[in-house]
Amino acid sequence: MTSLRKVAIAGVGYSQVGRHTGLSERHHAAQAAVAALGDAGLDAADIDGATTWGGDATDFAWMLGMGPLRWHLNVGVSPAFITPAIHAAMAVATGQCDVCIAFRIMMQQPSAAQIASGAATLASPSMEDAGMMYPFGDFSPTQWAGLLTNRYLHDSDATEEHFARFAVVQREHAVRNEEALQRTPLTVEDYLAAPYISKPVRLLDCDLPCDSGSAVIFTTEERARDLRQKPVLVEASALSSIRDMNFELLDDMTHTSPAHCAQVLWSRTSLKPGDVDCAQLYDGFSVITFQWLEALGLCDPGAAGPFIAEGNTRLGGSLPVNTDGGACNVGRRHGANFCIEATRQLRGTCGVRQVDGAEVAVWANAVGPFSGAMLLTAG
Amino acid sequence: MSAPAPPTPAPGAISEFFWSGARRGQLMIQRCQACGTYIHLPRPVCRACHSFDLLGEPVSGRGSLYSFTETHRPFHPFFVDRVPYLVAVVELEEQAGLRVLTNLVRVAEADVRIGMAVQVEFERLSDDLTIPVFAPAVAA
Ligand SMILES: [Zn+2]
Repeated sequence: MTSLRKVAIAGVGYSQVGRHTGLSERHHAAQAAVAALGDAGLDAADIDGATTWGGDATDFAWMLGMGPLRWHLNVGVSPAFITPAIHAAMAVATGQCDVCIAFRIMMQQPSAAQIASGAATLASPSMEDAGMMYPFGDFSPTQWAGLLTNRYLHDSDATEEHFARFAVVQREHAVRNEEALQRTPLTVEDYLAAPYISKPVRLLDCDLPCDSGSAVIFTTEERARDLRQKPVLVEASALSSIRDMNFELLDDMTHTSPAHCAQVLWSRTSLKPGDVDCAQLYDGFSVITFQWLEALGLCDPGAAGPFIAEGNTRLGGSLPVNTDGGACNVGRRHGANFCIEATRQLRGTCGVRQVDGAEVAVWANAVGPFSGAMLLTAG
Repeated sequence: MSAPAPPTPAPGAISEFFWSGARRGQLMIQRCQACGTYIHLPRPVCRACHSFDLLGEPVSGRGSLYSFTETHRPFHPFFVDRVPYLVAVVELEEQAGLRVLTNLVRVAEADVRIGMAVQVEFERLSDDLTIPVFAPAVAA
């Protein structure tokens, strides 16, 4: 067994992200890959490993003139982009390949109105577990988010106003990000006037559905030092699963997979929560970011609401969080935006939203049954 | 135009006892015949002892509310006229952590409290489908 190689992020890229872009999955993959290669200063021929959630990694690689690949993997349902990212990092660390591209290609889901009119269905009810939920009118992730949020409000110090402040801070960051899809300043009153989807979850607690392609290139630290960008190093990572995919039946809806994942993550590094300069924490629903802040020890247990309301997570605060504006504003890139934003912050290239002197960043995806997190450092 | 049909459970699945029980007015939960562990959602094997000898058994239908959400958007044609409605998770008294996904009925959202005592009742959605729902328990 050879020793593990230190892994770095060398390139990042997005496709033309937007609502109903009319572009195919392959188109988004191609745009994201070309952007990431250009960012890294690599050629397609340099890529010898590929993984994706969404589409087929071997299809994308062939289309782009990559290969032959020495390693590839198509990822199924998992905690968003963190899964292909961790697998790419592992493939490089173990020498399965030297330069690995990881994709998350996410096509916009049908709207609730389309589903209600019968023009689209959310998912086939043939799966047995779904068949135990649908007759009760439980179809949408927004509904388990409602269950988790109500329980969180019961178990923690958080209030509806804290959730409003969270949405306002995220939008403040999006205003400073030209890539964000929502950039109009938001007030607490705007948040409170937004409709409920599944109370207490409001429209502004949800990420923004869109078509997106994201790509991140992992390679060895040694190789990355010869490339275009300042390397960003993978310090530690963790994937966690604490039960099957029935979010509704979680034993403890407030301390879910992120609590376990964070324990595993911190056990793999000498760095401590206090070393983190910025955190990029999944916000598919607002409560997820609240759970991660507490799980990672970035604030006291049960105190994410007050921590946010006191301004700590704003740019210029003690711990800037979701500095690109989060997926509720940049659109559903399914976790990849948190990796890409953490990388850019550690490169120091975030311009008007740069966290001064950022050297350690954590990014994390998903909640409930499963989750993943990665700690990055400036190289 | 006929009214939209409710979404139906998967036919022939191992959860069939749950739905036939509901049609009879009984809340049935899968139980390991070897070690007595209740299992929900139904599975082919007991996660405590790996016995495959599992059967649906009637339970008391008493429990407490673990969490809830009031759904305002219909995600299926059947629910267009039913919003807002309460989706709930109830912990049954038979076993710690034994939870069911259900609806909460005959209570206004503002009066719902996490931890409140609830009792099963049955709502017939169609000729074929009856669902076990929960209402605030009436003090004995
Ligand atoms: Zn057993």
